[in-house]
Amino acid sequence: MVTNTSKGGVSTIGMGKPRRFDPNDKKYIPGLLITPVQILLCVMLIFPFILEFVISLTEWQPIYGDFWDAFTSVFTTKINQGINYNYLVTDEPRYLQALGRTVIMSVISLCLEFLIGLGLASLFLKKFWGKRIWFTALLTPMMIMPVVVGYTWFMLFQYNGPINQIFGWIAFSPVNLQWLNDGTLAFIAVIVTEVWHWTPLFFLIMLSGLNAVPENPIRAATVLGASNFKIFWTIILPNMRAVIIIAFVIRGMEVVKLFDEIYLLTRGGPGTATETISLYLYKLAFEDFRLAYAGSAAFIVLVITVVLINMMLKPIRYQLVEGR
Amino acid sequence: MANIKLELVNVRKEFGELTAVNDVNIAIEESETMALLGPSGCGKSTILNMIVGLESPTSGDILIDGKSVLDVPPGERNIGLVFQDYAVFTHMTVRNNLAYGLKIRKMAQPEIDREINKVAEFLSITHQLDRKPDELGASELQRVAIGRTLVTSPQILLLDEPLSNLEAAMRNQMRRELRRIQADTGQTIIYVTHDQIEALSLAHRIAVMDFGSLQQYDTAHNVYQYPSNRFVGSFLGNPPMNFLKGKLGESAGRRVVTSGDSVIPLPAGNLGSDVAAGSDVVVGVRPESLSLASPDDPGSFSVPVIAVEPQGPETVVTATFGDSSLKVIVPTGTEAAEGGSIELVPKSDLVALFHAESGVRLLDSGDRV
Amino acid sequence: MPERKFTPFNFIALVAGLLFAVFPILWMVSTSFKLRSEWVTSPPTWISSAPTVDNYLTILAPHVLLERRGGTQQVGDENFGGSKDDAAGGAIADLLNRSAWPGIKGSIIISISATILSIIVGLMAAISISRYRFGGNFTPFFILAGRMFPPIAIAIPFVIMFGPKVFDITDTYFGLIVAYAAVTVPFSTWMLKSFVDDLPHEIEEAAMMDGYSRWKAHFIVTVPLIKGGIIATTLFIFILNWSEFLFALILTYTDVQTIPVTLSKYFSATEGTLYGVQAALAMVSIVPLVTVGFFIQKHLVRGLTLGAIKR
Repeated sequence: MVTNTSKGGVSTIGMGKPRRFDPNDKKYIPGLLITPVQILLCVMLIFPFILEFVISLTEWQPIYGDFWDAFTSVFTTKINQGINYNYLVTDEPRYLQALGRTVIMSVISLCLEFLIGLGLASLFLKKFWGKRIWFTALLTPMMIMPVVVGYTWFMLFQYNGPINQIFGWIAFSPVNLQWLNDGTLAFIAVIVTEVWHWTPLFFLIMLSGLNAVPENPIRAATVLGASNFKIFWTIILPNMRAVIIIAFVIRGMEVVKLFDEIYLLTRGGPGTATETISLYLYKLAFEDFRLAYAGSAAFIVLVITVVLINMMLKPIRYQLVEGR
Repeated sequence: MANIKLELVNVRKEFGELTAVNDVNIAIEESETMALLGPSGCGKSTILNMIVGLESPTSGDILIDGKSVLDVPPGERNIGLVFQDYAVFTHMTVRNNLAYGLKIRKMAQPEIDREINKVAEFLSITHQLDRKPDELGASELQRVAIGRTLVTSPQILLLDEPLSNLEAAMRNQMRRELRRIQADTGQTIIYVTHDQIEALSLAHRIAVMDFGSLQQYDTAHNVYQYPSNRFVGSFLGNPPMNFLKGKLGESAGRRVVTSGDSVIPLPAGNLGSDVAAGSDVVVGVRPESLSLASPDDPGSFSVPVIAVEPQGPETVVTATFGDSSLKVIVPTGTEAAEGGSIELVPKSDLVALFHAESGVRLLDSGDRV
Repeated sequence: MPERKFTPFNFIALVAGLLFAVFPILWMVSTSFKLRSEWVTSPPTWISSAPTVDNYLTILAPHVLLERRGGTQQVGDENFGGSKDDAAGGAIADLLNRSAWPGIKGSIIISISATILSIIVGLMAAISISRYRFGGNFTPFFILAGRMFPPIAIAIPFVIMFGPKVFDITDTYFGLIVAYAAVTVPFSTWMLKSFVDDLPHEIEEAAMMDGYSRWKAHFIVTVPLIKGGIIATTLFIFILNWSEFLFALILTYTDVQTIPVTLSKYFSATEGTLYGVQAALAMVSIVPLVTVGFFIQKHLVRGLTLGAIKR
């Protein structure tokens, strides 16, 4: 039996001859379609990943000499391969501190973004004039480039900048906080910047979640005598569980990588006050030029983030693949 | 005279230009079961919301046990509401659903457990107390919704379209359940529905509404057999009431209604006595209220047959009366053929005469039950 | 029922939120029109007393300023140049170097190309995953993995890869384009996947029964039907590419610039940070973003949550 297909070769069934590759065949299409993305990712992600691992086994720095020699030396000579990892784990508190700072900063930012976003979204359930305009205005921070966000807040947080001025008006006495020169204040400044930048995302997601809560259970609870707060706590929030998790995971994935704004606000300083993992790696690799060492630190971070994020995604796996 | 539990006095609700509820007056007695019946948009849902407290009337008053509740928020009126879609709290177990209202009333835990067990047993859902709603079927969910309100001992129970979400087999079962609840608890129950069968099978008294106004409020029997206007007559009953247009006249000493060649003699009595001869009227008579007669029976009339549809033990015969069509239910096997004619006689007190324009029922005959 | 009424307290909260959201942007706008002497003052200058477009001219049309100065160094110019002793501040060469056009050109070329590449690759992958469930659960999340790496962690091997001994594509458009595509492909794939999911697969089956081959069914029937989604995704990815900073910073030196990198270079040893000029460039660069963002408002949630939430 021979069937003609409009593209490609002829598919023969049950004749014992080997099939020629038929791009129209159902079996091949998904594979063909997925190939470009696989190639791109292999070259741009897998390969660098492996490269980083190999490099991290050396002590190579650009000043030492040729990269290829260092690279091949890993396979040919028996140098101490774990040296970087050893050092990292045992002697470099800065690494762990950077990790710690990243976690704290991320958690605080996420919680603030969640609370403010939820509050704003609740407001939007009520009736008031000009909703569309308010809505667009509230979304603007999210659409500004991170570099611009960084520079803007850099200006605002200057010791002679408007933020101190406003605080001065409220406190009725001059305020001259050294936002970017004091460790704790700089940390706060970074959090404020990040919260400003991304609360609109939580706002959007919470709004979508609130709108999706069905009306009738709310009315049933009202008739049973529940107060507004109780309704919110026992009916509305549980119904939004999935949406809240999605928001935290999605933004959580991004906030731990935060670089642009911090770089522009404080360069990781003063000292190491705002040195998150991204900045620590940057300094290692591009200021100290200890590329191999940075490579090993980066490699560990890669592994941790992939594992952690996969764990975080587990609860919403189903929603993500099938669509809400 | 029994206690009046709930009273709507001149209740009116306007939404801007639209009048959803138009000066409605209803007095519901304690422990009675009544139905608020009407097509979509008739205002019954608005009345439901106002009784419960989710909406406020534009004018008029709502009294429970003689006291106005307009200032009382919905949670404190002690009214139970069961939604059409049950609105069970999906993220809580059945037990927590039932406990919800009681926890708000700050009841002690052991008491809560006792009440829950009582209601669960009453509604036969004890074995499901620790399950989640997504494991339950429709009629079980409904019982959870009912239980959730019963457990708070409401003074009035309101059910919105209780049978519409159930399959036919479940409906009978739920109908029996609801009657049992009625009988066992002595609760005052109000059903809100658009389904006249639901209303007729569940309620003592029915309030029929259309376009925001109350059309008739009477026992189920009376609303069915003695509709006060054409709308009520047309809304209840399946197959629907026949409406025969014609002119009022006189013949052989009786008043009759004629249309073209067809004549219907009206039963003796006062029927139509307040209307002048020659005016346009509409005769209303239900298919099951007409029976076969012989030509010399008093009060009988003849109509041409245009269709005969056997339906098992009964046959539906369609005839014409002037421009109107007329359906009769006769036992299968009766002689009736298309093109021929049949002789019919109505049950004397079940003929209604309506004003052609307004649809209002003209003077009637027979006694009311 | 949760109160629908809008209390004065609500109003205050809303206004506070609005002010907080908009204030920094307004500050930027104002700064871009400030005179040089107003950039850093104590107390800060909120609105310029004599707004000027010189900051914009500096970045977009420096020759206008040059002409105004007669082409020579000037003394005590209100807007540019420092004193005549300050060679770095007022130098003509320096002025020309502040032109933002190389950065603008670079941003445009790279953003558009990377977006196109990302969309094409992502669209094919999206069809494969959505219609054929290729790779089950693994492939979609593998694609997502690209988003999990901190860019800095992958930038380190990039530097080596792009470097002379390996691919030698540092400081080239091509290099950045491919890098950008790689990191945006997770978003484009997932977002497009959610649009393809929305389209019932019966449409393609009907097309195939009418004689279309699979390829035709996908690309002649399906793709036009999700046109709106493709446009929204394209704009979304464009925003991401336009805003990217780290890779541009690390992987380019002199030949290629993007706007974010140019912004970071407005710093001179003698004059300090050129706030006004930065503000002007910031304004110029965010105008396309805000405009685009406004148009795809409806789809922002879908894109940012990888298709999990469709508003």
